Amino acid sequence: MDGAVLKSVTMMAIALPTMFIVIGVFMLATTLLHKAFPASDDEEEE
Amino acid sequence: MESLLLQYPWLDELLMGFIGLTWKHVVMWAISALLIYLAVKRDYEPNLLLPIGFGALLANIPSSSAISQVVGEEGFLWVLYKGGIANELFPILIFIAIGAMCDFTPLIRRPIVMLFAAAAQVGIFGTAILATLMGFSFEHAASIGIIGAADGPTTIYVASRFAQELLGPLSVAAYSYMSLVPIIQPPVIKALTTESERKIKMGYSEEDAVSKTTQFLFPLMIVLIAGIVAPISVALIGSLMFGNILKVSGVVENLSNAAQNELSNLVTLLLGITIGGTMSGENFLTVQVAMIMGLGAVAFVFDTAGGVLFAKLLNLFRTEKINPMIGACGISAFPMSGRVIAKMALKEDPSNFIIQHAIGVNVAGQVASVVAGGLVLALIPALAK
Repeated sequence: MDGAVLKSVTMMAIALPTMFIVIGVFMLATTLLHKAFPASDDEEEE
Repeated sequence: MESLLLQYPWLDELLMGFIGLTWKHVVMWAISALLIYLAVKRDYEPNLLLPIGFGALLANIPSSSAISQVVGEEGFLWVLYKGGIANELFPILIFIAIGAMCDFTPLIRRPIVMLFAAAAQVGIFGTAILATLMGFSFEHAASIGIIGAADGPTTIYVASRFAQELLGPLSVAAYSYMSLVPIIQPPVIKALTTESERKIKMGYSEEDAVSKTTQFLFPLMIVLIAGIVAPISVALIGSLMFGNILKVSGVVENLSNAAQNELSNLVTLLLGITIGGTMSGENFLTVQVAMIMGLGAVAFVFDTAGGVLFAKLLNLFRTEKINPMIGACGISAFPMSGRVIAKMALKEDPSNFIIQHAIGVNVAGQVASVVAGGLVLALIPALAK
């Protein structure tokens, strides 16, 4: 396989799983943040 | 003619516009006219295509003073290029403006939508592989793949680092295809879904309101996580989230408004005309550029397919099915993609309102595209060694 092609495939092999892991961390952190600071009654009415 | 010019040297100065004219200039005038037509008559991303089209016209007049690189006589487009694109300033300023416009509350309410956005970035990598198979260098291929982020500023940011000579065509491809989302996405979605899948209804459950504190802490949290994973992405994600915190803090409404309006308009204007200024016939009318335009379309098709297929995959494990069309909104073309998919759902079934879900995924696409851009930025130098 050509060097550039191999590098592109390697980039995909590293970046795609990493992105899903980062997004997974974002999801977890966002869920925790949302639960930690629920909206007050005033904010819910808004 | 040459003897005439030797006899009357001042004629050279007077006729330089005619003498320097080539077929490439004329073809580029036609391309400028096409971009201006699409902006004015078809309303395709007019804020960008109109300045790009006009900038391209200025760059394709023989001996144009607008793009002169002669020391002491630098043209204004060259000065803007050096001061705003070569140093990545304009895309960063645009991100501040976009951040100030973004409302992340749908994403905070339903963080799972970020998964679709991640899946819809697959086009970046698929296109990069295809580009290397077509003979592009790894750095250029990765920069071409970034068109698949469907995010103009990220494309410009990556290209200005790793493919400066391709900046013009990459930017034009990114913004042109973003404006063509209503044409590109529907046939791909239809090819990958059945009618019954497109008619899946997604209910509206009672949703918690998002507190001001959560809205305020969200951009800080994203910057910290993304920054630690890929420090090279701090400029991109940091400027996006800086713009957002101006908005959600609630204490600097004047700055938030300035970012959303004055900053956005001014930088868009300068960015557009400067990119147009890079589109000289010499650089633009090449087989390489034709291939980039083709690969840009492929990137959008791959992205759409990635999002839709990922949603279908999730449906295999869920009792409450997701309309797989919303997976296609994971691209960053906001809010166009969300609206297109919501319209498609209504066309299939006039009582199927999925816009809330579609827009949530589309907002997540903003974040995912920047994360993907950051990872590519980090990996290009590491793998190119």
